[in-house]
Amino acid sequence: MLDTIIIGAGPAGLAAASTLKGDRSVMVIDEYTQAGGRLLGQLYEEGRGKWWNGLEIAERMYKEIEDEVQVKLNTSVINIEKDTHFTIHTTDGIFTSNHLIVATGAREKSTPLPGWDLPGVMTVGAAQVLTNFQRVSPGEQGVIIGINPLSMVISLELGYADIPVKKICMPVANALNYQKPGDAFETLVSLGGLAPSRMIFYGSRTLEQLPKVQEFLLKAFPKRGIRAMGLPISIKEQVIRINGTDKVESVTVQKTNADGEPIEDTEKDISCDFVCLSDGLAPLSEICSLLNMKHVYIKSLGGYVPLHSRYMETEIDGLYVAGNITGIENAKIAIMQGRLAASQILGDTAAAEEYLKKINDERQNAKVRFHPDLVNGKEKLQSSWTDFSHSLN
Amino acid sequence: MTRRITNHKILGSFEVDLVTFYWNGLELHGHRGESLTAALLANDIRTLRLHEKDGSPRGLYCNIGHCSECRVTIDGKKNQRACLNTVKEGMKIESQSMLPNLTEGGRNDA
Repeated sequence: MLDTIIIGAGPAGLAAASTLKGDRSVMVIDEYTQAGGRLLGQLYEEGRGKWWNGLEIAERMYKEIEDEVQVKLNTSVINIEKDTHFTIHTTDGIFTSNHLIVATGAREKSTPLPGWDLPGVMTVGAAQVLTNFQRVSPGEQGVIIGINPLSMVISLELGYADIPVKKICMPVANALNYQKPGDAFETLVSLGGLAPSRMIFYGSRTLEQLPKVQEFLLKAFPKRGIRAMGLPISIKEQVIRINGTDKVESVTVQKTNADGEPIEDTEKDISCDFVCLSDGLAPLSEICSLLNMKHVYIKSLGGYVPLHSRYMETEIDGLYVAGNITGIENAKIAIMQGRLAASQILGDTAAAEEYLKKINDERQNAKVRFHPDLVNGKEKLQSSWTDFSHSLN
Repeated sequence: MTRRITNHKILGSFEVDLVTFYWNGLELHGHRGESLTAALLANDIRTLRLHEKDGSPRGLYCNIGHCSECRVTIDGKKNQRACLNTVKEGMKIESQSMLPNLTEGGRNDA
């Protein structure tokens, strides 16, 4: 029997393993072929000439633990049972432990529209892994559908690899896609330090307080889009379909007004051989669902998250969560959440408090903010946890 | 056409370490240790399977094991996710295609 099993070898899982190693017997399980999770492929400029290179960070984190921790890659978890301990069924054996950390990260949400099943259509995350990790270009020229922090960052990354992006625009509005130009504009504003224009960059933090100014700028945003940071961003154009017989050949775009209503006779085709769909990220929590755990829907965290405290505890004794399963944030926060969960297992309250403080500081200073309302979402979650704890007494 | 990004202005350069594999009997080359999705795309192969029901072409979608759109047969083993398997010397990969229609009256039947 192991002390702790960690599901997910991403930033949260590797950090948790690093904190526990030496003191406790630990196994990390991941279905991917290499440790690192979605660190593999991350690449952005944190400051002048200072790069966040996820692949390097993943390799460093893995080296830190490989001698003392059993890391099982290429292994999928298929079921979990809990009685006096946890029993983890995998595609490569059954393992037991006293503690479990679920650090399964997030999945990319999809933006269905006609033609989205053609070869050459992929998520932006797929394009990121191809470009920065596998080093195979997703194609000769692409169109990105969906304007959110993830799609903006990855569009920049395609540029670093000299892969032309011809347009970044909205998906056609339908029953499943309801993002409006105003939402996309808010995204551009919330990008703060990575904002695609000087005007938005300098104004980003104050703009959030001034809805009237935002409204004016949204109306004034040119219909043909703007070219900023080398990216052709168009919040008033939507892709109505993706065309091709056996693979992507073009997309058909249409102009809209500031409310996202289509303008007639503005359709035009843009040729491309790959298309990236992006509708943001959602916490990946099937593992917790296997144990019938309570979940809370919080939009600013990305969707349903397992009910948990700010100390990463859940309703199941010995089961902790860490990383994007607790809400969509950056890898630095995931790392500290992993260390926080591990500190809880070690009973090291001083360390736990310190990581909690670091998490809050990072939230204030984050370069990429995935949702402007994130802090409120975290407070709402904590109050659900408090209500739940009281209900037990 | 697709290409390998052997030179990258921030990530630097790397050299391709070739391995031979077979795609539907066709001899191709990949980079040792890379996923089958990457190896096939580097050979400009985008269609990885034909849909079980209508035979429409499908390719890689999420590339990290979540969507299962990239299912292929690897050395005789069916329904393996191409994105979670790495290319190995002599590996035989085959695409899967339409299944015979044994039932009638399904919702989508014409």
